[in-house]
Amino acid sequence: MKLLKSPFKWYKGIIIEPQIRDFFLGRIWIRTSTPFPQEKIETYLRFFKITPGISEKRGFFNRIIFRCNRCHNENQQEFVHYNCARCNQTCVYCRHCINMGRVTSCTDLITWNGPKPKFSRKHVLDWDGTFTEAQSKATKELTKIITRKNNHLVHAVCGAGKTEILFPAVLAALKKGLRVCIATPRTDVVLELFPRFQKVFANTIIHALYGNAPVQSGLAQLVIATTHQLYRFENAFDVVIVDEADAFPYTFDLALQRAVIKVKKQNSPIALVTATPSHQIHAQVKHEKWGYSFIPKRYHGHPLPVPEFQSLWSYEKQIQSGKIPRKLLNWTETRLNNNEPFLIFFPTIKLMEIAAPLFQQINENILSVHAEDADRKEKVLKLRNEEIPGLLTTTILERGITIKNVQVAVVGAESKIFTSSALIQISGRVGRNVDFPNGEIIFYHHGITTEMDEARNEIIRLNTEGFGDKKI
Amino acid sequence: MKRNEVTNCLICNAPLNHQITWKSFLTNAFPKTICTECEQKFVPYENTSKEVISLYQYNDAMKDFLHRYKFMHDVMLAKVFRAQIHEQLSKTHATIVPIPLHPTKLKERSFAQVDELLKAAHIPYEHFLEKTMTDTQVGKTRQERLATPQFFKLIKNCKNKEIILVDDIYTTGVTINHAKNLLLHSGAKSVRAFTLIRG
Repeated sequence: MKLLKSPFKWYKGIIIEPQIRDFFLGRIWIRTSTPFPQEKIETYLRFFKITPGISEKRGFFNRIIFRCNRCHNENQQEFVHYNCARCNQTCVYCRHCINMGRVTSCTDLITWNGPKPKFSRKHVLDWDGTFTEAQSKATKELTKIITRKNNHLVHAVCGAGKTEILFPAVLAALKKGLRVCIATPRTDVVLELFPRFQKVFANTIIHALYGNAPVQSGLAQLVIATTHQLYRFENAFDVVIVDEADAFPYTFDLALQRAVIKVKKQNSPIALVTATPSHQIHAQVKHEKWGYSFIPKRYHGHPLPVPEFQSLWSYEKQIQSGKIPRKLLNWTETRLNNNEPFLIFFPTIKLMEIAAPLFQQINENILSVHAEDADRKEKVLKLRNEEIPGLLTTTILERGITIKNVQVAVVGAESKIFTSSALIQISGRVGRNVDFPNGEIIFYHHGITTEMDEARNEIIRLNTEGFGDKKI
Repeated sequence: MKRNEVTNCLICNAPLNHQITWKSFLTNAFPKTICTECEQKFVPYENTSKEVISLYQYNDAMKDFLHRYKFMHDVMLAKVFRAQIHEQLSKTHATIVPIPLHPTKLKERSFAQVDELLKAAHIPYEHFLEKTMTDTQVGKTRQERLATPQFFKLIKNCKNKEIILVDDIYTTGVTINHAKNLLLHSGAKSVRAFTLIRG
């Protein structure tokens, strides 16, 4: 849009409504289902770039390969042909991102191509905590990536204060007028990070995006989103930080990993933050020469609790016949007598639901949670507020929760679902508080697996890295 | 029929482990499209009359299914109940008549949900009706629904035909009754109805 030079000429352009510009900046959206009236979109159409929903290219033997332009999915199994009554021909749609509204080959996707607003550079960090030596080293390294445009991995043990490490780096980026995105595979993590960032960055507009999130107004310079929500952005961010980068489904879903690359601007850096980087991530770091920060110590300077293995032979049979195995029963009763909150992890929802009434016979306030539980948040809050003595859970609570003085037992630690990273995360729930740096973490098993060994060895290795050769 | 057309559950995306059996080789049965756990969430409907036959009750799982199929436009989900629909409708000699959508509604939705269900189940059908009202029954109270005037018109001669009307859901029965009355008045020999869901 040309600026008016002489005030005497009639100016015939449109003054762009800031809401529309702010909303669409960096976003990719279906033309017909925006949150604005359709006429408005049509009048502003010249400020948008229009791309077809599904693009096709040719592969081997001239085979058509479809690609969804919103989620960049290329798994051909997820493309469906159907007879479209709108175009009277066969159209294709993508099932991968259908929950966000269907993208077909006959839908238009719009991206903002009009004038771009400038971001504010006035930001304050209202946080007066202090960093340990390892933490401040990591923050310096992380801040550097903004200017160097180099990808980075922050490997910090559970309870090392990962969120706090992000603060100075995010502040430095915001002060340069850059747009920052913090993405994570889990909604729970978004819900936990959002208030914490809002508190310390009082002058910054921050949006939290997750499934069914309320509409937030203004131009957000800092976006905290689930990785799924990244499908809705394109070429938007100058810095992308992926928290808990090893959590399900991010590592399994190629489209989600592509989404992270899609939302960043070209040459913008990605930072991964995790407690348990997979072999795949380690290989990528080595191969692509990423920066690497490692924090083996917790913020309170105490070693990580090392899990203890206890046999619990045929626990499944015993629970199914209506009896809690003796060792587990003793453990639970000790926790109840000592008034310590506890978490018991189960491998399947089914087993947990059989066990729940048995535990409720000992203490009727013991509750159970799983992924599809609507009261998940309230139940965890109850445990934190010491309203209930303990919770039975599936792997859903393996990361992102902090409860003072919690004691943890894993039933059936040999199950496939408990991978070494899951077990490390579960062990990381224990002893996060300065006042209670120790706690019990017991793996009850029906035979020891390599994953269990791997988890324990990794924790011992981290402790020796953090504390030298000192015996723990 | 392609055997490996669907490899993951269409509803929860869990991998389906197709077991190759002699039966699947030699018969022309439809391969599974949803996993056993999702299948168990749908509750069959106990039919009391022979006039209107329904397959499933309207529960939370069915609500999610219908939402994703009709409103998120996931056409692929038409395949979920194809085996059951095929079993119900393939043996009859009567003419299958799906309840139509209004043409503008069809343009908006880009597919006719009942037609797609029948196509997926390999049931031949014929259109006798056309809808003349654009607004839907969704969001109306029971009284409002029952008070709606006739909203179908005939587009083909149906004299002396045995007809089975097919719709996706039966709630108050207004849609089915209007269609039935119109067809009977126009000389159809008998009219029965089949719906996937009973609300």
